[in-house]
Amino acid sequence: MEEFLSVTGQLFTGFGENCFIFAITLLAALPLGLVVSLGSMSKFKPLKWLTKTFVWIIRGTPLMLQLFVVFYIPPLASQGGFAFDRMQAALIAFIINYAAYFSEIYRGGIESIPKGQYEAGYVLGMKRSQIFFNVVLLQVIKRITAPIGNEIITLVKDTSLASVIAIPEILMNAKDFSMVGLIWPLFYSALFFLAFCGILTLLFSFIEKKLDFYKG
Amino acid sequence: MKKIIALLLAVTLTAALFVGCSGSNQASSGSNSNAAAGDWSYIADKGELVIGITYFEPMNYKDDKGELTGFETEFAQAVCEKLGVKAKFQKIDWDSKEVELNAKTIDCIWNGMTITDERKENMGISTAYMENKQVMVTKKANADKYTKADALKGATVVAEKKSAGEEVAKGDEFFKQATYLGVDSQAKALLEVKSGTADIAIIDYVMSIGTLSDGSDYADLGVVDEKSFSPEQYGIAIRKNDKETLKKINDAIDAVANDGTLKKIAEKYDLEDLLLVGNK
Repeated sequence: MEEFLSVTGQLFTGFGENCFIFAITLLAALPLGLVVSLGSMSKFKPLKWLTKTFVWIIRGTPLMLQLFVVFYIPPLASQGGFAFDRMQAALIAFIINYAAYFSEIYRGGIESIPKGQYEAGYVLGMKRSQIFFNVVLLQVIKRITAPIGNEIITLVKDTSLASVIAIPEILMNAKDFSMVGLIWPLFYSALFFLAFCGILTLLFSFIEKKLDFYKG
Repeated sequence: MKKIIALLLAVTLTAALFVGCSGSNQASSGSNSNAAAGDWSYIADKGELVIGITYFEPMNYKDDKGELTGFETEFAQAVCEKLGVKAKFQKIDWDSKEVELNAKTIDCIWNGMTITDERKENMGISTAYMENKQVMVTKKANADKYTKADALKGATVVAEKKSAGEEVAKGDEFFKQATYLGVDSQAKALLEVKSGTADIAIIDYVMSIGTLSDGSDYADLGVVDEKSFSPEQYGIAIRKNDKETLKKINDAIDAVANDGTLKKIAEKYDLEDLLLVGNK
């Protein structure tokens, strides 16, 4: 029993790191993704192609590799002169990666809004920005709740990738127990993820219900 | 207005791309000349030696109170005291240890690291301070069975990839009739045997002390006492070409070995028979 409590305590400490990465990544990547999606829909060609290249690079390489690049390339290039600390590096990599994925979801949502709504806005004398924020964006949010929720649940589990740059998150802590002869903590750690994703699933079905009144 | 914002964004992104590229160029040209003469003064200026470790009983592990302890932990602290710097332990991913060392996110690897020719070529290696060997671990019920090579016919042998255990499993005559499977850690190798998907794991003797004790989940596994393989030696790795730090660390190892400190630490963890330095 004592062993169970001490393992649970250590796994909770580790899961704190996962939750921290999760929260900060969401807070930063959701708005950043919108900025990126606007870039990739820009009529200004150079910006559009740059953004598209950026999204291609980020989505086309493994997140694990991106973590290595952000953490190891600066100190290798500067001979140890400059390095992010481990958590900073993880946050930068996660935020950039998830902003790229979110941006494509936003783009899909925005482009699904019929052109007629913009035209109606113009007829009413609204400015382009007014139409976007007051008419289009709210409908977009409703339409993308499901795919964003999907991506957010993936993020919960992806946070354990941070262990490749030695952030002591839950899976790393669980693996350490196998070095002292305990196997079960590794499988026990699954419960933490399951519980967290369960809460998120409930939260998202609640949000979807709340947004139902928009159905046109 | 919108055009200007778009243009600004475009310029920033291009700049970011260039910075990224030039950064990686430097990295490739820089890694060779890493650790020039000034490495010791770099460590001394910081006032701490950052030691790359993984948790691995009895070398470095957390005790019941959550404090880091172990043979290597206390040994490193004693050596750092002689060097006049603070010992700072940084947990790393073992697979990235060479990158960590070159990126200066750690200053040495000190975690029961086996000295190999490959490592000698890529890093500076200290005096060998401890001996280790490879042992076979199997279900206790089978321990008497696997003492002769003939008994291994059809058996599956696992070891960590790139480890000394793998060399034994692939190279030693004894295992000629067995099927070999490489896994990504020694702990996984034990898990394979425990779950019955493999018959024999070849792991470090030192690791077997920590993991196979009574009360662990591996209590039903045991070492085949009659057979051990390829004696090997543990050393500390530092950045290549850093002669000054290497000499200082070697001198400090000699100092703690000769005044009996090292032996006392080793006795605490039941490792004194394996020591290679100091008067036994």
